[in-house]
Amino acid sequence: MQYFSQSEVRRSAYPALWVLVCALFPLFAVPLASPQTPDNERPVPILTGNAGYFTTVDNGTTELVPEVIPVLLVPLGDKWLVESRAEFYGEFDSAKGQPYAGKVDKDLDYLQADYIANRYLTVTAGRFLTPFGIYNERLYPIWIRDLNQVPLIFPIESGSSDGVMLRGGFPVSSWASLNYATYFSTLNTNAALDSDRVVGTRTGIFFNRPRIEIGGSWRKELMEERDNAFGFHFAWQPPPIPLNLRAEYARSEYGSGYWIEAAYRFSQVPALNQIMRRTEFVGRMQQYFSGAEKLADEGGKYSLPHGDTQQPDFGLNYYLKDGLKASASYARWLGTHNWNTWTYGIAWRFAMPLGRVGGQ
Amino acid sequence: MKKQFAILAGIPILVTALWAGAPKKNEGSASTTIVSSTHDSVEMRLEGEKRFRTNCGRCHAAPHKFPPRMMATIVRHMRVRATITDEDMRLVLYYMTQ
Repeated sequence: MQYFSQSEVRRSAYPALWVLVCALFPLFAVPLASPQTPDNERPVPILTGNAGYFTTVDNGTTELVPEVIPVLLVPLGDKWLVESRAEFYGEFDSAKGQPYAGKVDKDLDYLQADYIANRYLTVTAGRFLTPFGIYNERLYPIWIRDLNQVPLIFPIESGSSDGVMLRGGFPVSSWASLNYATYFSTLNTNAALDSDRVVGTRTGIFFNRPRIEIGGSWRKELMEERDNAFGFHFAWQPPPIPLNLRAEYARSEYGSGYWIEAAYRFSQVPALNQIMRRTEFVGRMQQYFSGAEKLADEGGKYSLPHGDTQQPDFGLNYYLKDGLKASASYARWLGTHNWNTWTYGIAWRFAMPLGRVGGQ
Repeated sequence: MKKQFAILAGIPILVTALWAGAPKKNEGSASTTIVSSTHDSVEMRLEGEKRFRTNCGRCHAAPHKFPPRMMATIVRHMRVRATITDEDMRLVLYYMTQ
């Protein structure tokens, strides 16, 4: 999912590798399993993730997208977690009168070791999701996202980084908590582990009574043109209403844009409550303003629009049961050309232990 | 020069991780450290539910409860992914395993 070009500075990977080695050292230096938790509460390895099947009709072309996104979680002792996520997805479409054909692709989104150093700090090393905004890290899984189509500005913030990250969250008062993530990533031109040499940070503050989170992100390339990117995010779940409001703004040398999304669950509607409480209506408005002449379109899974674009989206989700969701959405692409995009499908979140869990 | 810089940059990370990773005297599991009486238990569960809705509900619908050993892993994962606080993690874990 990387979109910046890569050409030089291979030698710069070696010092960065040392930082990585230094950060990984405690993995072997500190006793891994000094369990302080009772046996029946000791974490067990888990295979979780999500699977889905979506059909998109985009400007008259139908595309079928089956995908499986497994997540492996391996806890070690009381303070360690090794976690990984991969994506396997197909993109099949059909020319007129022809059978469906396409490609099956794969990505390694993250493969990281987390060390929970204390209540303020977690040290992460390996390949991790780049912490920029909230969509890439928190909302991307298909069973979580309210609209199957990612926002227009998603390519600015998406991607993975190979390096070291310091992150954490802690209360700053009885009514607010602060969260942060600061990272350094090295250049990696390996196709499966591609990343740029960048440094960046994201921080946010969450006000727990009104349930409002605001935050900002910044990233600087340490290669080539040493470009900057920054963004802001906002989220609000007003406590008395089953409403979820989210927004993001991002700006990079390629362009800038924003999205605002509202998702309302009809759980407070008394009529047909058994059905209505499982139903969610989603609306999103987004705009993208094209920046420099170079475009972030290098054949990745996602790419930025080629020109100023705006797109309203509407969607309906129905939660069949825990972790199983049916979705349908409509979007109107308004750019150099205008067209409709329809999407419908189903997403399922699974979780299974890879060890004995005992009875509950 | 760059190598020296990288080593120097790595040392604080290493020292911080080792220092902070040393077990503290009063650290323990969610249930054994927090709960000292039935009254506390009820309060903890209510507070845990509140924290659960506040933190987890910000991104996704509430999942069903999993067995305690699975929940311990999931909450640890979410602590890292969603940068929830240590206290929130313990309370959510307590609520989800009772």
